[in-house]
Amino acid sequence: MSLTSYVLRRLFYVIPVILGVCFLIFIIFSVVSPDPTISMLGKHATKAQVLELREALGLNKPLYIQYFDIVKSAFTFDFGRSWSTKQEIFEMIKQGAIPSMTITFPAFFLSVLLSVSISLFVAFYRGTFLDKGVVFVCVALMSISSLVYILVGQWFFAFKLGLFEISGYEEGFPDVVPYVLLPIIIIIILSVGPDVRFYRTVMLDEIYQDYVRTARSKGLSERKIMFKHVLKNAMVSIITYVVLRIPFLILGSLLIESFFGIPGLGGMTLKAVNSSDFPVIKAMAVLSGIATILFNVITDVLYVVVDPRVKLN
Amino acid sequence: MATNEQESKSLWHHAWDSLMSDRTTVIAMSIVLIYSVVALLSSTGLIVSDWSKEVGPSYAPPSSEFLFGLDIFGRSVFAKTVKATEIAMSVGLVTGILTVLIGVTLGSIAGYYGGKVDEVLVWFYTTVSSIPGIMLLISIAFIVGKGLLAVYLSLGLTSWTGLFRLIRGEFIRHKDREYVQAATAIGGGDFRKIFKHILPNVFHIVIINFSLQFQFAIKSEVILSYLGLGVQGVPSWGTMINDAKLELARGNWWQLAAATAAMMVVVLAFNILGDSLRDALDPKLKGK
Amino acid sequence: MKKISFILSILALVGLLGTSCTKKADIKGKTLNMAVSSQVKGMDPIYANDRYSSNEVARIYEGLLEYHYLKRPYTLVPNLAEAMPIVSKDGLTYTFKIKKGIMFQNDAAFPEGNGRELVAEDFVFSIKRLADPKLQGLGWWLLDGKITGLNEWRKKYTELPTVDYEEEVEGLKALDRYTLQFKLAKPFPQFLYALAMPFTFAVAKEAVAKYGNEFLNHPVGTGPFAIKDGVFKQTKKITYVKNPTFREKKFPCEASAKFEKEGLLADCGKKLPLVDRVIVNIIEEDQPRWLNFQKGKVEYVSVPKDNFDTVIPDAKNLSPEYLSKGIDLMVSPSLDVTYTAFNHDLKLFKDNVKLRQAMSLAYDVNTSNKLFYNNQAIPAQSVVPPGIAGHIENYVSPYRGNGSPEQLVQAKKLLAEAGYPEGKGLPEITYDCPSSTVTRQIGEYFKKQMAKIGINVKVTQNPWPELQKKITTRNVMAYGIAWGADYPDAENFLQLLYGPNKAPGANGSGYNNPELNRLFKVAAVMQDSPERTALYEKMNRIAAEEVPWIYGVHRQSFVLKHSWLKNFVNSDFDAGIAQYLNIDKKMKIEMVKKL
Repeated sequence: MSLTSYVLRRLFYVIPVILGVCFLIFIIFSVVSPDPTISMLGKHATKAQVLELREALGLNKPLYIQYFDIVKSAFTFDFGRSWSTKQEIFEMIKQGAIPSMTITFPAFFLSVLLSVSISLFVAFYRGTFLDKGVVFVCVALMSISSLVYILVGQWFFAFKLGLFEISGYEEGFPDVVPYVLLPIIIIIILSVGPDVRFYRTVMLDEIYQDYVRTARSKGLSERKIMFKHVLKNAMVSIITYVVLRIPFLILGSLLIESFFGIPGLGGMTLKAVNSSDFPVIKAMAVLSGIATILFNVITDVLYVVVDPRVKLN
Repeated sequence: MATNEQESKSLWHHAWDSLMSDRTTVIAMSIVLIYSVVALLSSTGLIVSDWSKEVGPSYAPPSSEFLFGLDIFGRSVFAKTVKATEIAMSVGLVTGILTVLIGVTLGSIAGYYGGKVDEVLVWFYTTVSSIPGIMLLISIAFIVGKGLLAVYLSLGLTSWTGLFRLIRGEFIRHKDREYVQAATAIGGGDFRKIFKHILPNVFHIVIINFSLQFQFAIKSEVILSYLGLGVQGVPSWGTMINDAKLELARGNWWQLAAATAAMMVVVLAFNILGDSLRDALDPKLKGK
Repeated sequence: MKKISFILSILALVGLLGTSCTKKADIKGKTLNMAVSSQVKGMDPIYANDRYSSNEVARIYEGLLEYHYLKRPYTLVPNLAEAMPIVSKDGLTYTFKIKKGIMFQNDAAFPEGNGRELVAEDFVFSIKRLADPKLQGLGWWLLDGKITGLNEWRKKYTELPTVDYEEEVEGLKALDRYTLQFKLAKPFPQFLYALAMPFTFAVAKEAVAKYGNEFLNHPVGTGPFAIKDGVFKQTKKITYVKNPTFREKKFPCEASAKFEKEGLLADCGKKLPLVDRVIVNIIEEDQPRWLNFQKGKVEYVSVPKDNFDTVIPDAKNLSPEYLSKGIDLMVSPSLDVTYTAFNHDLKLFKDNVKLRQAMSLAYDVNTSNKLFYNNQAIPAQSVVPPGIAGHIENYVSPYRGNGSPEQLVQAKKLLAEAGYPEGKGLPEITYDCPSSTVTRQIGEYFKKQMAKIGINVKVTQNPWPELQKKITTRNVMAYGIAWGADYPDAENFLQLLYGPNKAPGANGSGYNNPELNRLFKVAAVMQDSPERTALYEKMNRIAAEEVPWIYGVHRQSFVLKHSWLKNFVNSDFDAGIAQYLNIDKKMKIEMVKKL
């Protein structure tokens, strides 16, 4: 079937997923979660005002009507305003996306470069002490909690050594750099471990394939084999892995944003979840759902582009 | 059929041999064993049953008397670290089992039956995996409250997606294979085929995944503590590391160091084990 | 290709590192940098129901009254009002004259962008906004049932599609351009405090009309500062600039004796605000907030509980390390009280005063003071904190647990008399608390204390809304919480134990004592007087002896400030203090080097 019709058909899959996401979110945050009006009204909540506010927020409507409203607003992208800050959610997302991405995208880009390079290197020297050593270091890095990296990194490198800003965020380049450098480095360190292991496995899978043995017996240099054959064929798996991570980059890292004072989407989502700020939760869940589908489709398309042998199905 | 079983046996046998021959793997396995034993002893109260006793002044630094120093209540950080092994190992175990149960069950059903059943399960999987993790994690706490149960359920109910995809993929690949068709030919029912035939060939993925899930759960407990979902009343490495948020800036590093070190060793061991298991069990790497 | 990608990565990193060393361009004028620990909701006064939001609102907006910056006990003085109001004999009518010549700041909402003069009608509009049912202002509780005709106006328009602000409300009238009159439905002695709270501050109807739903991001006030570029963005940094059309307001030349002694009148008579810019950094985690202060990035910070010992090794003195860096410690009592409430809807606690007394005696507040407040908090004998009428000087509650062995014996005895010798027969008591590391530790401490007399406690942490829900649905046994004063009047504390205020009102424990209720009703309509103080004290004693709660401490607030920050005075009602603060630029440059 043609690429276009495949893509369209996959994109239509968004609809049932959004319905499902809305339903799950609705059950969790409207039915099961604590009453948001109480945290909004603070310590002076009176019974009368709680009722009035519930009415104003539409919480007294029958459940199926509430669900319908949610679905409707999800498809029309009419996210409305946050219950706790009263800000327009669309604006909030726009404002929050940039700081989040200022950290996640450079970190992502650099860590992919770094990881792929390291794993090529290591696959080349497979089985040797170098290989085992690097893998061990990667795994060791992975065995430390992200919170530890953040606490120690901030305290030691930003505070004690003064190499970076402790926390905060500035708009505009290059003002933003001293604020995001340390978070970016921490994220790279966190990603390198699992990434290198994964890419290495993928590449080793390729190296042990028959065609590589054939190529070697034909006299191709090991170097050429690595780049021309192994890397290219490993690309399919690498691309899947990489592209599927992109939706999460937009959300931003929750812990990093809290400790480094980055006004991004991760912190925004956490705050919304903690205060049962349903419109924000809904907006983030819906966008996340759409992004997931979108990037799944992009991955599939890239599959085809990179490896014509793969058939759409 | 006889050939199939013989094949399996020698696969496991072969795997065991190759695992045992690698020194690093043996060390890793021993570490896991030691931690498990410590957790068991601690849970039965045979060791560190007095972890909550105040043994000295608040925040005493490490010394010859207090190996890892003391915490805010004057309790031994060493004792707390050992006691916390219980939580870590149980979280890893329970979450791992939950993930395996859910992931394998749903994955095999989806992969085997295909069609509408598969579509529904894949839809469910896509929905769950596209919702940001924090929402799901915190939502479990709404239902079951805080504490260990919430930790088990939050992690278990959100980590199965990876395994689901893998198992489903494998089942799709295997169900049209010759040996399965052979089983059908001699009148084997669905259940039998799933459990007796396909699953054993796919089980190596489960094992590898289990060991990786284990360590992932231990690390996630730290994040859950940060979100306020941590265990109450008993020390865990997660709560100890979170306490460092207040302690580090004033120079009290020992609780953070102890918990991080204890966690790092066992997580590292599981990761190495996972890698070795994959090297030993994955038929694709047989050519090495 | 591998080589190239490696080189590129390294170049990128070097480039980034290089630019991180850029120095900030020197900014003219004085800038005040501060750090707060919680996000701000927006700049609309009617929604500013938490301390952080109301502090930000108070930089831009002003009200009829304010607290005198340099006087204790807290004293109300006129701000936008010309003088304190004329109050009718029956205490029901308050007439204010508004100062002339007060201008709203320049903003696009006004014709040609020029702010216009503030008039009495602006207060009528602003307070109606607080009552507007469509807006659901979070501060409505303050005036609910207090102003004649306002509740009826609100009720009427709850049903109707649009709200008519033109309709007259009997108790809220502008008699002429500069005269404002309030009529109260019933005596409300705390009414004047309400006029010092940001909920009742004056907003411009042109701005509300122009910006509609976005009004919370376009604050247009009469205050000393304005938001830079006129727009509030939901980021972690808020920048304010001096309001060029701010009226002539001078730094006070009168002060309480202790402030005068500290030299706080040095800037007497100077035109406010004293700084040109205020930058508010929102830093939620303790570690970065504290570290930023140590580096001199913010001028002052309140001390995170666990940094006490490094900074304050003994009683009230700063460690020499900090003294040499010119860091100053300001300790001042807070009008608050921490406590463990019992759920009085449970028979277990309701009828068993001996059980409550036993538990109170077992709770060693002195050790808790040492552990959690570095011995600087004041153990609470009862509900009213020191500093306001109703607090009884030198009173010691017979049930104030202090860790002595005699009390432990007494506690065990009372427990037996309550019907639970050595805790036998008593069910496990759940203790709910908010979820933060500190409250968790306090919970664990409570558990340890109760174990001393054989009582089993289970500690559960909850996010704030969850805790509130549990309290409202009576799904708690004991819970740990605190209350900070909204205004400096004991009524604000005693109302927590007033029967009719039970959940979802402020009386979360559901305590219902007919005697206390009676006394409260009488005192609630009395103005400040020795007779009322006597009533407050009587209620305070009942609150101590009947142990409706196990009292914790009255906390002190600790603020560390740098030597170059001048005029800082800690206050429980610190809305609008930024205008009084000053920075010694030369000193800052010198001292930062030492950090």
